[in-house]
Amino acid sequence: MKRITKIAVSAVALAMPVALVLSGCSSDGGNGGGGDNGDDNTLTVWAWDPNFNIYAMKEAEKIYQKDHPDFKLDIVETPWDDLQTKLTTLAQSQSFGELPDIFLTQNNAFQKNVINYPDLFSGLGDSGIDFSEFPKAVADYSTVDGVNYGVPFDSGTAIGAYRTDVLAEAGYTVADFTDITWDDFLTKAKDVLAKTGKPLLSGQAGSSDMIMMMLQSAGASLFDNDGNPTIADNAALEQAISTYTELVKSGVFVEVNSWDEYIGTFVNGSVAGTINGVWIVGSIQSAADQSGNWAVTNLPKLDGVPGATNYSANGGSSWAVSSNANVELAEDFLKSTFAGSTELYDTILPKAGAVANWIPAGGSSVYAQPSDFFGGQAIFADVVKFGASVPSNNTGVYYYEARDAVSAAITKIIGGADPKDALAEAQSTVEFAMG
Amino acid sequence: MIRKLRGAGGYAFLTIWTLFSLFPLYFMAVSATNTSQAVLSSRLLPGLELFNNAAKLFAAQNVGAAMLSSFAIAVGTTILALIVTSIAGYAFEVYHSRGKDVLMGVLLLAMMIPFAATMIPLFQMFAKIGMVNSLFAVIIPAISTPLLILLFRQSTRSFPSELVEAARMDGLGELAIFARIYVPTMRATFAAAGVITFLTAWNNFLWPRVILIKNDVQTMPMLISNLSAGYVTDYGVLMLAVLFASLPTMIVFFVLQRQFANGITGAIK
Repeated sequence: MKRITKIAVSAVALAMPVALVLSGCSSDGGNGGGGDNGDDNTLTVWAWDPNFNIYAMKEAEKIYQKDHPDFKLDIVETPWDDLQTKLTTLAQSQSFGELPDIFLTQNNAFQKNVINYPDLFSGLGDSGIDFSEFPKAVADYSTVDGVNYGVPFDSGTAIGAYRTDVLAEAGYTVADFTDITWDDFLTKAKDVLAKTGKPLLSGQAGSSDMIMMMLQSAGASLFDNDGNPTIADNAALEQAISTYTELVKSGVFVEVNSWDEYIGTFVNGSVAGTINGVWIVGSIQSAADQSGNWAVTNLPKLDGVPGATNYSANGGSSWAVSSNANVELAEDFLKSTFAGSTELYDTILPKAGAVANWIPAGGSSVYAQPSDFFGGQAIFADVVKFGASVPSNNTGVYYYEARDAVSAAITKIIGGADPKDALAEAQSTVEFAMG
Repeated sequence: MIRKLRGAGGYAFLTIWTLFSLFPLYFMAVSATNTSQAVLSSRLLPGLELFNNAAKLFAAQNVGAAMLSSFAIAVGTTILALIVTSIAGYAFEVYHSRGKDVLMGVLLLAMMIPFAATMIPLFQMFAKIGMVNSLFAVIIPAISTPLLILLFRQSTRSFPSELVEAARMDGLGELAIFARIYVPTMRATFAAAGVITFLTAWNNFLWPRVILIKNDVQTMPMLISNLSAGYVTDYGVLMLAVLFASLPTMIVFFVLQRQFANGITGAIK
């Protein structure tokens, strides 16, 4: 009997604080995430990186507040994968009232979301934003049937970043890796590996990032203009895959199991370079002991593929205005900041490394500032130049499915399967997914 | 002699196995005291960065609020789930009605429906009654699980029915029998069910992520997900957050370890 009393007392003791927290939280429950918060001057935003896009949003808030002192942002930190889950859930349950005013979307997934869930978005056709001030390749990611749905934010312009000290040890400079083809790259990288023991590249096994960058550098895609998959009988794709296979087999490209290991390979110095979107410089710079020993240049281009260039992109994101937004305010805010303020880009570039897509910002003197980590190179000015030459890439609704199918094919090909068979299988997988 | 050798071999095997199992925990604890670069270089010795990492973590994320939300959800779910499922499991075994086995079968079938399939209608329901962002919306779907009902029903099989009959003869009401005789006798089962529920509720990720939209109602798993979502992840800070998130579950498990083992094997005191 005594024991029961004791249990009851401890249960109540535990339940009390819980009840307090719960009642505190439920009082404002159901208030929604979005523009229905009853305040005409507050916008809710979903974004995912406090040091990058959230930071940029906060700076944009400060700039907009100069002319609109009552303006406020309520930024909710939401990783992209979770953001996508939320968008899907809200769209399928038709609970549009819970949408924020503005949300950030990965460029690769933008068209897929607009086409599958058009009710989530507000078109920006009448916003007065001049989309010709963004590179066409970038604005195209968030354009469906001629209507713009997103204001491009960060650039996914691809860079080749290499350790200058390791290259020097093998008798090379970064100039030897500029404007070259993948064949040249292979020869030189094998030489670097033989002389220094360090591979120049690494990446996640089973990821198609590298292949996709090669493909886009030649303006090629996994779909034709009508949206039909072109995975089988795609000369550019076959060339990209055979290059990639050669890179891996020669030991120049180290495949690791996870993203964290990939970052680890160059941060701990076992790999002497990487090729990725420019946002990777944040991770490169976390290796403080390698300061001054890095340089940035363009990508090798594919051999024997018509339209091949030394420029590509990976990643990048754009701001979307939701269907539940205070549309007028959201559009004016984006127009006056991300699509209209050089001051904003001048602030966020040096602090967060956010390279502008907005062309008028590219001429700013901030971009010409040398970076000590990259041996005094003005890397961002170079990246803006690269960005202007990136060929457009057709993404579409099934881009993720096609990428996954190609990833699976690459794993098989590296394991020894015939490339033609593996790609034909990938093609039929995507066709099956498309129904 | 052979037996001794075998014993020694067994111990050696178990020791090696234990080291393997404990290594991730050790790495987590050690990494929380190292810089991100050191973690990526797989440094296995403790470093001096603990306070730095803590400062960065607390500056970037509202850890206190997330701990409190997670705690409220886990404790709330555990208490309610124990009450609801123990009564259900008890009733399924002690009372007799025709349809009860069919009903139990339906309940068990429900275990096979993946959560992803029910998430969207569930969200619709909670959105309709205005409970988005409420911690109750996380607790309510978790308080009755077929697994716990099954666990209580199975353990009730070894609960002597003579006790119930004797108590009835002594004039004790049904509720009193449950509260004064059944509950104290089944302590081990309650502990096991409590540990399972607490761990599941504490680690629950998908549903809270979807239904809790605002920043001030984050849970610990959501906070950890935030930390690894940026373009640059600080692995030292991440490991410290993981350490914080694992402590309560470790404490709950260690405190109830013995009862947990008894409860799972169905022992009755």
